Amino acid sequence: MNLSYRIYYVFLRNLVSYKRFVIPTFLVSLIEPLFYLITFGIGMGAYMGYFGGKPYLYFLVPGVLVSSVMLSSTFECLYGTFVKIVHEKLYDSLIATPVSAEDAVAGDIAWGTFRGLVSGTLMMIVAIIMGIFPVSLLSVLLLLLLMVFVGILFASLAMIVTSVSPSFDFFNYYTELIITPMLFFSGVFFPLDKFPAWMKTLSEFMPLTHAVKISRAVFSGAHNPRLIWNFLVILVLETVAFYVGIKSMKKRLIK
Amino acid sequence: MNILVSAKDLSKKYGTLAAVDGISFEIREGECFGFLGPNGAGKTTTIKMIHCVSPVTSGILIVNGLPAHINNRALKMMTGVVPQEITLDIDLTVYENLIIFANFFDIPKREAKKRIAELLKFVELEQKRDSKIDALSTGMKRRLLVARALLNHPKLIVADEPTTGLDPQARHLIWQRLRQLKSQGVTLILTTQYMEEAHQLCDRIVVMHKGKILKEGEPSKLVEEEIGREVVEVRVPEEEDERIIGHLSSFPCGHERVGDTLYFYCQDGQGLMRKLIELDLHNYLTRPATMEDVFLKLTGRSLIE
Repeated sequence: MNLSYRIYYVFLRNLVSYKRFVIPTFLVSLIEPLFYLITFGIGMGAYMGYFGGKPYLYFLVPGVLVSSVMLSSTFECLYGTFVKIVHEKLYDSLIATPVSAEDAVAGDIAWGTFRGLVSGTLMMIVAIIMGIFPVSLLSVLLLLLLMVFVGILFASLAMIVTSVSPSFDFFNYYTELIITPMLFFSGVFFPLDKFPAWMKTLSEFMPLTHAVKISRAVFSGAHNPRLIWNFLVILVLETVAFYVGIKSMKKRLIK
Repeated sequence: MNILVSAKDLSKKYGTLAAVDGISFEIREGECFGFLGPNGAGKTTTIKMIHCVSPVTSGILIVNGLPAHINNRALKMMTGVVPQEITLDIDLTVYENLIIFANFFDIPKREAKKRIAELLKFVELEQKRDSKIDALSTGMKRRLLVARALLNHPKLIVADEPTTGLDPQARHLIWQRLRQLKSQGVTLILTTQYMEEAHQLCDRIVVMHKGKILKEGEPSKLVEEEIGREVVEVRVPEEEDERIIGHLSSFPCGHERVGDTLYFYCQDGQGLMRKLIELDLHNYLTRPATMEDVFLKLTGRSLIE
């Protein structure tokens, strides 16, 4: 791994180009989770009564926060990276400078993470406007930190997919077979305790499940020691995914 | 003169395919060195190894006293690359392309701004400073690539077919700029399929084919040695060959039949022409021998795909 501070320069390149797309991307990263908040939260929530003494939205919002991070980071490192690295061959000239292939790919993962963080933050602002507050200021800060970890995880996983993807169509397998099921099996919209045992086991293997658990606990201030386990799962998984994603993409960049 | 790049038994394999097959060469500081060859000859692969973006499979490759390696940031720091494909950042303006690229070389902002102003003038793109890349012509894009390659004040410039797809005006402008850089002491490495380009720019060239170096030398000497001074082309059906060659047997000329044309390579084309007139042929011409003849003789006149 030949990583250096030049990751920042790659990130900066993305930031400069981003200023032209700010409005459309803000809209896109808001719309899908907002759609969940309104349909599930307000529409279905009306029939759900109270969850642990609080309205359904208090249950839903922490889950939607991390899933919006997941979706944004994933899409940025699928489509965004594919266009830059594979279509436009933008990074071919970049790796002829002192920026290494590892720097370039890590810069894109950092960018995907940032996009996730932006989406998650926007979501939190919307929730606050809707009157759903995290329990304290500390909890807000911890949630933002969690979003960074979740962003790195899903940006890195997406990078692995992009590195072996022959075309855009390939991404459908990943989004339809992995990402979408994850959204429904990770306890974002309803608690998992009514699931049969095998489904509960399955959900343990989904990284989003662990992120949702932490997010929900931090949001309401109900900390418990088991969260350390959830956090470790995310940490280990993202370390591996980061490493594999960079190695695999480097193979594609350097021949 | 100092040797800047030296390669010994350099090879590059993709699976079982040898893109570069055990070549050796030396490039001197301050010269313009050209790699010529048809598509797939291994030119681009060779220069990619020189500027450290493609790993060497076997052999030795030393650039500026250091082994070329994809992690060799010091070499990348002193090299400017003009790529074959237009790899500009289409999301950014001309100026943004350059200022972002200057970052990659750790050039401080103030210095970068100064250099960008100078370089935009150098490649005559001052008017286009704030244009998007889409709004530029191919010639402008190529000039911008040249400017971008100069941001780090390179000691070595590697240009991979820098004038592909350009009209004559744009091509000559790029040639002038490259010659200007050479006169400032920069070492230039060039790949090209245009023989005139090699002649215009290069002090020395190698002709590559199927991963190997076929010939090395100064362009005009190579023409003289391989072809002679003049070429006579006679467009006649193949059946006539024997009669014509017999008639011209007193001339010390090499000949070659390719498709509809019989070629004669000689020192004195005029004498041969006078003799040809006696045969009452209509379709023939004489012209000076060029690098293109050398190229075609060495790599074959049939299509390479």
